[in-house]
This record gives sequence, C-alpha cells and structure tokens, in this order.
Amino acid sequence: MSIDAIYSAFERAAEQPLESAKAWKQTHGTRVVGSFPMHFPGELAHAAGCLPVILQENHEPITVGHGMIYPFYCGFTRSVVDQACKGDYDFLDAIMFGDHCVQVLGAADVVRAKLPNTRVHFYQLISSMSDPWSLGRARETFLNLKEGLEEMIGHPIDEEATHASIRLFNKNRQLLRKLYDLRRAGDARITAKQMQILVKSSMVMDKAAHNDLLGRLLAEIEKTKAISQRGMRVYLSGHFCQSPKIGVLDMIEECGGIVVDDDLYHGQRYISTDVDETGDPLDALAKWYLERNLKVPCPTRVDQNADWENYLLDAMERSRADGMIVLMAKFCEPHMYYYPEIKEAFEKRGVPHLLIETEHELNSFEGLRTRVETFLEVVKRQSAARRIAA
Amino acid sequence: MNAIAQPLKKANRLKTSSLNNKMVNDYWTDVFNAKAEGKLVCWYEGVAINPLMQAADIRWVHGEAWSALLAARNNEQEAQTAAEHRGYMKELCSYARTHIGCGVLAQNRGVEASGSSFSDALGAGKLGERIPAPDMFISAYPYCSTGQQWDEMLFRLFGKKVPIFNISVPWVWGNKPDAIYLGGTEFNEAKQYMVKQLRACTKFIEEQTGKKYNWDSLGEIMSYTKTAGRLRMEAMELCNAKPAPASFFDWTTSLAPVNFIPGGPGIVEYFEKTKAEIVQRIADNEGGIPQEKYRLFWDGIMNWNKIGWLANKFANYDANMVAGRYTHMGFWHEHESIDLNDPLEGMAVNYLVCPINLSAPLMIEQIIKLCKHYEIDGMVLHAARTCRAFSNPQYLIADAVQKRLGLPVAMIEGDMVDESFYKDELVNSRIEAMLESIEARKRVGIAA
Ligand code: SF4
Ligand code: SF4
Repeated sequence: MSIDAIYSAFERAAEQPLESAKAWKQTHGTRVVGSFPMHFPGELAHAAGCLPVILQENHEPITVGHGMIYPFYCGFTRSVVDQACKGDYDFLDAIMFGDHCVQVLGAADVVRAKLPNTRVHFYQLISSMSDPWSLGRARETFLNLKEGLEEMIGHPIDEEATHASIRLFNKNRQLLRKLYDLRRAGDARITAKQMQILVKSSMVMDKAAHNDLLGRLLAEIEKTKAISQRGMRVYLSGHFCQSPKIGVLDMIEECGGIVVDDDLYHGQRYISTDVDETGDPLDALAKWYLERNLKVPCPTRVDQNADWENYLLDAMERSRADGMIVLMAKFCEPHMYYYPEIKEAFEKRGVPHLLIETEHELNSFEGLRTRVETFLEVVKRQSAARRIAA
Repeated sequence: MNAIAQPLKKANRLKTSSLNNKMVNDYWTDVFNAKAEGKLVCWYEGVAINPLMQAADIRWVHGEAWSALLAARNNEQEAQTAAEHRGYMKELCSYARTHIGCGVLAQNRGVEASGSSFSDALGAGKLGERIPAPDMFISAYPYCSTGQQWDEMLFRLFGKKVPIFNISVPWVWGNKPDAIYLGGTEFNEAKQYMVKQLRACTKFIEEQTGKKYNWDSLGEIMSYTKTAGRLRMEAMELCNAKPAPASFFDWTTSLAPVNFIPGGPGIVEYFEKTKAEIVQRIADNEGGIPQEKYRLFWDGIMNWNKIGWLANKFANYDANMVAGRYTHMGFWHEHESIDLNDPLEGMAVNYLVCPINLSAPLMIEQIIKLCKHYEIDGMVLHAARTCRAFSNPQYLIADAVQKRLGLPVAMIEGDMVDESFYKDELVNSRIEAMLESIEARKRVGIAA
C-alpha cells in the first residue's frame, strides 16, 4: 500500500464515520456503541465485543435539528441533534456517554427522545478531578458502565478480554504518538489535515484495523526521508468535541505555518495517556481518567492540580513552536471561560497567539486568511528578534 | 390582537413583596459588614447550600443573587465590561460574567486577593455598597457545567489561594427502568452520594472556622426553611383559583427568602403574610392582574433586567403568568423530604430535583402536572441566550405540552442579566401569535 492509499483509507473512515461503522457492523456482525466526546473510554465496549464509535460533527447543513435545539449552541451539539433527527443514528445499538458539558446534556436529551428504541445511557464522569473521592467515583462510574454493557450483551465481560482491549487501545495511542514525535522532530512531514484524519479515524474505526494501517504508514514513513520545511512553527490549541475544518488547517499551512504540535481533541488530547495493562481494569481506567487531565488539561474539568495555560506554554517550548493558534468553536463555554487565563499567561510571557473562532456554517476561510498571514508575519519578526538577541 | 391599543394595564403585584426588599437589603448589609464584624465569607452559586454556612456563622455571597441585584439596580455594566476586557466573551453565562467581572474589578484595584486585608470587590460608590472577598468557595452546581466552572474560574482568578470545596451533583437521567421522580435505584444512589459530599463539606467548613460544626443550629435553620418552603408551596398552589391572585412574577420576586436569605423567623413570617394575602385576594376575587383572560406558564429562567416590564406587559395582554418551572419546581419545593433530625438527605433531594437537574422526560411530567393544576392556556418559553442549562430541554417541553395538552407556545429570546439579548418587538409578535391561537382554540370550544 502506498502512503497515499493508506491516507485515503483513513480519510474514508474519518469523513464518513457512520457509513464506515455501518459497513463494519454488516461485515462483522458486531454491535455498534456510539459515544459523545471527550473522556468516555472505548475499551469496555470493545471488550464487550462491540465497535465503539465517537460520534462526530458532520458537514451537513443543520436543517431538521433547528426544530430541536437553539442556534446559540456549539456546532458539535447542533450537528449531533440534527443527525439524530434525520435518523442517522438509527443503526446504533446504543449510545453511552459520560461527559457533562451542559450543551452535550441538552443534545443527549433530544437524542434519547429521537431514538426511543435505542439504549441512550448516561454514566456521569466526575468532572471535579482533585477531590478525595474523584478516583473512587470514577471507578464506580466505570463499573456501572460495565454492568450496562453486560446487560446489553447478555453476559459478563471477560477480564482477560478487557486487558486485551486495553492493550490494543494503548498500542493505537502509542503508534499515533510516535507519528507526533516524528513530526515534532521534523523527521516526518505530516500535515495538519493528515494528522487529523489519523486521529479522527481512530475514533471511529476498529482499533486492530487502525493499528494495522498505522503500522504500514509508519513503515512507509520510515523509508522516506523528510524534506526540511521552511516556515513558522505553529502550535494548534483548542477545538474540543468537533474536529477543526480541514479548510482552516490547510489555510494556516498555505499561509506559511507549519503545524508542529497540538492539544486538539482530534489530536494529542485523544491519545495522550495509556491505561495500565495489569491489575484490575476498572482501577486502571479510573486512574487513566484522572491522569489524562494532568497530561493534557481539559477546560471542561475542574482540577486544582492542572493549569492549561502553563501546560500550553511548556508544550510550545517542547515543540519549539513560534506561535500558537487557538481554534475556538463558537459558543463553546468551557473554552470561553478558560481563554482569558491563556491570553493573560501568553501575553505575560510574550508568546504570540491568535484566536480564531470557528462555526459549523463557516465554509470559506478567505476572510481569516489576512489575519493568519498578519499573525505569522508578527511571529516571524518576533522569532527573528529573539534569535538576534540570543 | 388589540391589547396594545387599550389603556395600559399594570400588574397587581402582591403587597407583601415589599417586605422582601427589606430582607434582601438586610442580607446584603450583613454581607458588606462581614469583614468588619470578623466573619468569614463564602462565595458560591447555584442551589441553596447557604444553611450549611449559616450554621457555622459564615456569611455567604450567592453569585446569581449578586448579579441579579446589580442588574435590577442597573449596576451590572461596570462588572460586565471589566469581564469583557479580560477576555470573557458575551456568549458566556451572563450571571457568571457579571460575578467574575466583580472579581476582575477587585484585582484591578490592586487589592490582595486573599486574606482579610481585601475588603471590596465592587467599586465603592457604584452600588454605594461593598462586597467582601471570599475566604472560601463552595461549589455545588447541579446539571450545569458552566456553573461548576464559574466557581473554578473565580478560584483561579483569586490566584488559587482561597480554599475551594467541590460538590459534584449527579444529573437525574434515568438509565434504569425503575427511574421515577424522586425514586428509583439511581436517584437513591445519587442521594447517598450527595449526603456523603455534604457531610464532607461540613468537615471542610470546620477546617475553615476551626470550630466544631453546629448540627443543632443546622437543624434549627432547616426548620425555618422547611416551614417557609411549605408555606410558599401552599400559597402558590392556591393560585389555581380564578383569577389567580398572584403571578409568576410575584413568585420570582419572592425567591430570595427561600434562596439566600438566612433561615430564621423572618422567612417564615414572610410567607405567612404572603399566604394570608393570597387567601384574602381569593376571598375578594382579586387577581394578580386587572383582568385575567389567559392563564400562562413561564418556562425558563427569569429575565431580571425586565421583570417589572414583563409583568406589566402580560398584564396589559390580560394574560396572567400563573406558574413557572423556575419558581414552582425548585427552592425547597420538596420540603416534605426534610427530616429535621438529620436534614442532609432532604437537602440533597431538593438540590437533585431543582428546576434544571431532571432529564427531560422526568421534567416534562412535572411540568404537565403543573399545567393541569393551574389550568394553563399557553406557555411562554424564555430562551435565555446565555443559560443553556435552562434552554436545553425547551423544544422537548414545547413539543410535549403542544401534543399532550394542546397548548399553544411562544418561544422568546432574552437573558438573565444581559439586556442586549432581549428584542421587544420580537417578543410582542410571538406572544400575540400565541394569544391568537389560544383565542382560536377557545372559539372552537376546546377547553384548556
Ligand atoms: S465542550 Fe465545547 S465543543 Fe464540546 S459540547 Fe461543550 S460547548 Fe460543545
Ligand atoms: S448558565 Fe444558567 S445554570 Fe449555568 S451557571 Fe449560568 S445561570 Fe447557572
């Protein structure tokens, strides 16, 4: 398989996640369990013999959904409601979720109302991460989830199967992180679009199949020598439940930015942390849930031990990025809350950043081009000045 | 619709409401004097956990109450602008923005964020009053992640130096078939989880005060709260009389005593008087508006900038807003569940079934019950732009009352304390369209 062919396979799944899951269900006869982003683990559903799929914002205009959700909601929640109203989720055997961003909760109620014959189950993950009971509560939640899955499949989930799923998922994260390392070090040329489809496809594909493709990709990449690139090294931050539009990513690179790293959910956030492969799987998942927030802090959680702004400043240094572009989904409350902290910290440290608000309806990025160009110009001048000073 | 052409009619507001103002003023005066009197101050938002603080002789600043007060006195702008300057965007919860804006103002004034030297978080001379800085935060926000994060952002704004205690309130969703209002396996589990956290919260309070938690005092406070809660519910239930002697707008202005005013004889007396006024009005056949032609239900949070304006607007349409989700499905409405010997469980129950924490199917059943009890003709759904917690289930609610009760509905956009989201012409046309439909239904003889 050529590199292009491998990317095309990933892209098909990333761009048509429901179609790809449906096809998998037909050929493999497995149940498909949908979930909402961003913290819900797929390992248990996999161990239960299901295909876990993280539901995605799609590119369709929101039509029927308008009658069920107000326009002042983030694109992800509006799109999910729209898809549920259009019957796109009818093939799912269950939707199980645990995040409680207030907008997701609104969408969830509508989804349940539109899918009266589907199990739409909520296993609320504690979002306060540093309380004495956070770990215990997270474990209880995963236990409830396990029981919910067992009830659906009609038999207990085997512990060894859970370990195997954990290993498989870890492997997937490790392979993806390896690609991130290669890109960061300049040893592989992976565009922001390519990185997104690699991670996004992982959210919706069977993990073993995904690992197989990733293995092939890595083998191909290692064969070719990366050509060194010229341009400003850009760090991308933000965009949670929905993947940033490919057009924005392409535009940033067309303007001369080289995306070297990110904390996007359709990026590092999703793959940051592995689950312990030994011991009690529920203990391991609970630990993973809390650790993940320390690895890449999430503004939908409250955690006294995590500071997103400091994490970002450090990450910028690690990846030797010259500037950061913050992609904010319009109406995303957690992001709006936290942004001033980032702005303040970055301004204080003199690290340049640019905020771009994105919308489900936004399909032309030309209006943003000038802002990105100007930003990259500023970044260029600043980094030149820094070099001279050093 | 010719209502607009008629002479302006005004709402006939309950006289007892004016007593509320005094209690509210006294409460804020106590808050402003807290530091001078050597009292610790806790900032919190959301459900009424204030009895926990009161029992420990701590003074409390309720974020929403504070933001609403500023809005009601046209004093919200300065805080909102300060928040905007720091980068908080307009689409964020306006209560939070206003409250956080006060924190920003405090920081701007260069005063130490923590410790007793810090004493004014709001520019003196604006309200002519002062709000003390927090010595602690307690966060117990049901359903709304924005609420929990509001506390977190305040905690960060004050340099992570002021201790914070987080209570996680589970959403009453109902995975299991036994899920019913106030019951079922998950609800019972959620209740126990809440009790555990509330108990831990009293330990946190002990650490802050250095004193043993006063359970006797909590029991006593809760006895007043329970009685006030019962009297308020009884008074509201009497409003199924025709004409209804009071309106939703009266009940919103009567929330303070069951929300953040200290539990004591004052709140009981207040609702005794309110109830007596209701009884008297029923005897006199006196309505909450001059002429009651339509009986409406208000779904959604209140628009504090517009409260008097809206009360008169509906009065002018001969439409009595008889009940609402905000007022009738919260604020110690489940007073019966409070056991004075061990009040935590009953408190937990009230927090869990507050007006946003039920998932849509359970919430809709409660709303339908209310619509039937109050013989409602139509529903106004206030889509508060920056409170998605309240707006979330509104399409499902509208759909259910239309289908199951045949009620016409009007969805109107507004906000809690950000005036700019309210568009009067739009509101008028939606309301008029709904009243037209009610008329049409009446003409063809469909009883509500
Ligand atoms: S976290 Fe942001 S993007 Fe995700 S559902 Fe909430 S508002 Fe939408
Ligand atoms: S959005 Fe609504 S429920 Fe949430 S914190 Fe603000 S006022 Fe409270």
